[in-house]
Amino acid sequence: MLPQTDYVKASSVAHALDMLHQYGTGAAILAGGTDLIVDMRERRREPTMLVDISSVEELAEIDVGTGNIRIGAGVTVAGLAGSAIVQHQLPLVTEVTRHFADYLTRNRATIGGNLANASPGADLVPPLLALNASVVLATAQGERTVDLNDFLVGPRRTLLLWNELVRAIHIPTPVPRGQAYEKLGLRTGGAIAVVSCAVSMDQAGGECRRVRIGLGAVAPRAFRSSEAEQIMEGHMFSSDIAARAAEAAANSSQPISDVRGSAEYRHAMVRALVERALHAAYERSSEPQE
Amino acid sequence: MVPEQQQLHSIGQATWRRDGQAKVTGAEEYVSDITLPRMWHARVLRSPYAHARIVHVDTSYAEALGAVCLTHADIPKIRYNERIVSTPPHLYRDRYVLADKARHVGEAIAAVAAPTEAAAEQALRALRVEYEVLETITDPEVAMWDGTEPIYTNVQLGDQELSIEHNIAVQRTIELGDIEHGFANSAVILEREFATSRIYHAQMETKGVVCRPESDGGITVWPTAQSIHNVRQLLGEIYSLPLHKINVKRVPIGGTFGSSIQMNSVIPICVGLTLKSGKTIKLVTTREEDMYDHVRYPSRIRLKLGATKDGLLTAGHMHALSDIGAHNTQAFAFLSVLSGWWASLYKLPAMKFEGKAVYTNKTPSCAMQGFGNPQATFAVESLMDDLADALGIDPVEFRLRNYVGLGGTFWGQGPSVQSIVLSDGVPELLEKGMEKIGWPGRPVSGSQTGRYRRGIGMARGFHTSGAGAPKPGEVIDYSGAFIKVNEDGTVDVVHALMDHGGGTLDAIAKIVAEELGIPSDRIGISPADTLTTVYDVVTHATRGVYAGGGAAHKAARKVKAILLDYASRVLGIETNALVIEPDETLGQGVIYCPSFPERRITVGALAKLCQTNSWGSIAAVESLRQVNCPPAYVAYFVEVEVDTETGSVRTVRAVIGSDCGTVVNPDLAVGQLEGGLSKGLGYALVEDNSWEQESGRLLSKGFWVDGKTPAMSESPLLEDIDTFFADSYEPSGPFGAKGIGEAATNPCAAAYGNALYNALGIRFTELPITPERIVASMVAAESGATKAVLV
Ligand SMILES: Cc1cc2nc3c(=O)[nH]c(=O)nc-3n(C[C@H](O)[C@H](O)[C@H](O)COP(=O)(O)OP(=O)(O)OC[C@H]3O[C@@H](n4cnc5c(N)ncnc54)[C@H](O)[C@@H]3O)c2cc1C
Repeated sequence: MLPQTDYVKASSVAHALDMLHQYGTGAAILAGGTDLIVDMRERRREPTMLVDISSVEELAEIDVGTGNIRIGAGVTVAGLAGSAIVQHQLPLVTEVTRHFADYLTRNRATIGGNLANASPGADLVPPLLALNASVVLATAQGERTVDLNDFLVGPRRTLLLWNELVRAIHIPTPVPRGQAYEKLGLRTGGAIAVVSCAVSMDQAGGECRRVRIGLGAVAPRAFRSSEAEQIMEGHMFSSDIAARAAEAAANSSQPISDVRGSAEYRHAMVRALVERALHAAYERSSEPQE
Repeated sequence: MVPEQQQLHSIGQATWRRDGQAKVTGAEEYVSDITLPRMWHARVLRSPYAHARIVHVDTSYAEALGAVCLTHADIPKIRYNERIVSTPPHLYRDRYVLADKARHVGEAIAAVAAPTEAAAEQALRALRVEYEVLETITDPEVAMWDGTEPIYTNVQLGDQELSIEHNIAVQRTIELGDIEHGFANSAVILEREFATSRIYHAQMETKGVVCRPESDGGITVWPTAQSIHNVRQLLGEIYSLPLHKINVKRVPIGGTFGSSIQMNSVIPICVGLTLKSGKTIKLVTTREEDMYDHVRYPSRIRLKLGATKDGLLTAGHMHALSDIGAHNTQAFAFLSVLSGWWASLYKLPAMKFEGKAVYTNKTPSCAMQGFGNPQATFAVESLMDDLADALGIDPVEFRLRNYVGLGGTFWGQGPSVQSIVLSDGVPELLEKGMEKIGWPGRPVSGSQTGRYRRGIGMARGFHTSGAGAPKPGEVIDYSGAFIKVNEDGTVDVVHALMDHGGGTLDAIAKIVAEELGIPSDRIGISPADTLTTVYDVVTHATRGVYAGGGAAHKAARKVKAILLDYASRVLGIETNALVIEPDETLGQGVIYCPSFPERRITVGALAKLCQTNSWGSIAAVESLRQVNCPPAYVAYFVEVEVDTETGSVRTVRAVIGSDCGTVVNPDLAVGQLEGGLSKGLGYALVEDNSWEQESGRLLSKGFWVDGKTPAMSESPLLEDIDTFFADSYEPSGPFGAKGIGEAATNPCAAAYGNALYNALGIRFTELPITPERIVASMVAAESGATKAVLV
């Protein structure tokens, strides 16, 4: 059973921030609740006030700005999946939504919750790292924008202040055309990643440019393997170089052994998945620009 | 085959099941849906430790909150076995309603009840328990070492005290013929060790119970249960209540896979709370509690088989070790059936079975779909393929030469339940299966290279239909039914049988309809409880249609005789000259004489006449013990594709053939086979319910998140699952029917193992065959190969 708690449905970002300010550290933002409610049921968290942002419309928008694509923190995984902007420009993210949980969970789970929860296995993080995303944070006093990479401090730890919420995610444009995602779970659907990997890159005449490789579930937090990226960056694509980069990515991971897989298996799978994703991303990057 | 002259109007027709609409619309009421006036709610305090003495339980804070509390001090000091299917001398009794000592994580230590769920939860958190933590024993080998902490010093066997040495709950040796002689005359002998896992049943509904006190001192109980009568008898025994004051109701169940074959542990706890408080109380467990409540029996099987160069088996030796967890629910029966399934798969001129069941500090094992059969079949069918390979004989041909078929002796429930096989569709299953999967075109094992490799494998097996036999055995097996014809020609069937969701009760209605010549939509299945039904042992052992249906058939025959008697009076025609047939336009059964078709009366008119003339009711109650235990054969052919980079396995196609005798309802029978595949592929490839050594906790911690079962995405597309039925007729079954449910899953894991062998040339001997294990085995095989080259 859930611990007893108070509840308020926020009508706007300002209202939510006001509530956070008023109730202090006992308050928790409730978006889809697919992480928070689980935590509460297990008594890992016992907030005294839930500030429900799931009806705040200004958080549920996806639009194209100048120099970026802006995704509201309250956009659900199903919302991402159905968005034409995302399908067209961020196929990597569309791909993730297909591997994310199950239909019921996708209808509730939000992108903001996925980032704020900062689980090492959060599926949206590796692709957003590969897309160089930044996070817009808001307090009653104002907003700040931080790199997603800096926002994530460690497992379940972020830069979020007690009175702050994630307002939006910004992805700089133009987005590299070559995007690929690989996720391995204990089963094909509705499973937490044993390893996940996201790659984005451009190319010029076969030479790899802006290569970014995000890895999930193989370190205390999702990260970009700069070692692997450097091997690819500025070089002509080849199977050999992709294999070397994959090896470097595996070596840059620090997987643990747990119920989902041993460290050795994860290490081997980083190699296999990164290699596969590099090939796929490169092939897509060859597609003509529209 | 159904005899030609038998024109069937109900059996064999694909019809909607009567509870289908309620289920898909959510109208069906399960235990968790039951709400009664002034009902309180209960929660159970469960041990966080795998092994601990309970020093003290302080209920004062919880009581101060207004809760009613139940501890070991409150309950009758009666040890019982929650499953009373075995006869009393074979019942190992080792548990109390609330534990005297914590023997596994999740063991029930105390319980609280309060007016609301929230108050009960609060009271639960106010209980204080002092534990003295003991050594946790999770490995059955370690459990048997000298000096390992005893989990029990003694238990009760029947009425006798039995001291437990080295944590061994029970051992069994069964020997037939001279194996030394048999092995000495073998051209090939192979021996391997196999391991199968302790998977969770993963039934949809968790267990629950509602108990209401009655003003006469009795109780009414709505439990999650597979046998209402066994629940009643155990409650009577534990709480010294006369049986006529205990009414246990049949409540629709959200699947079981065997997980409610016993009286679930929460039932007597709830009853204890009701008796103490005088309140109506509801107790429903969470998924996490349920995952710590029961698992399938795991096995470590060392199997040795010998064969002549002509491909005839000569002898077999099986050592089996099972880690039964913290309670002995049916370990004796488990060892019995393990030997029995093995002895019934293939003709062994000599065999020796040596089995041990050992206590550990883990979730207790209980029967699960196939009860020992998936375990035995995985070992036997894997080794049969290897033997065929070694002999250079086609695996299917090798099986045909050795299987126990028509005229053979089948062990339906261990050595004490044996009967002669009267129907055998195996040759047809194997021939059709080979044809459908494209057997001759399968690759040479281990010949493939490249990232994706495909393989085709097969395995066969069966399950028993019931546990009946010519003489009484170690298991109780009989059913009873009460059937009455209503005054409009409709029929009520009152049967204690439980339907696990497979449509068993629907089949009962079809059998009654067939016998009475009444359209099956005029047959109703009455709500059942222990006050108004006669005994039915339990829905297990794939006995529902064969044994439960057999009893209904027997009662229907009697009802038919009464109907014809009255009709004879009315129509002036000899009873023997009358028939009953359904009339579609009238929507009724019609009784008439074929030679004088104008002499006719509908069943409804006759029944009404019986009432208005005050002749009496048309009704009968009958009890039936089946004296056979026919094998319901199944054959699996699967094609897999392995991604050798990740070890992921995709099921490309599955062909499943069943010999269930006469098919009662084709749609539901197909559903059983598809469900068997889903459970079987989970067992084979996915489900890995592992324990943390030191803490005795589940690695999944009791959560679905990591307690994985296959999802739809693991299943092949429906069009890639080919199911078919052998043309077969079981003379001892109702209208030729046998069972299907457990058979549907038994050979599945072995078929996957054999398909993977075909794809990769690697023999997997441990379940589940996870991607990680596949990758590790491939690495090992490759380094082995390199070494061989170097030498
Ligand atoms: C059955 C199931 C399957 C799952 N499968 C997956 C999966 O495949 N992949 C995966 O990555 N995850 C999975 N999850 C985890 C979860 O669904 C995701 O992490 C999801 O994105 C969380 O979003 P939410 O909106 O539900 O967050 P909530 O649970 O509402 O919140 C999570 C945390 O973030 C905080 N928070 C939420 N929104 C904001 C905001 N805008 N600003 C500041 N803080 C905020 C909350 O206070 C809380 O601490 C699964 C969960 C379940 C229950």
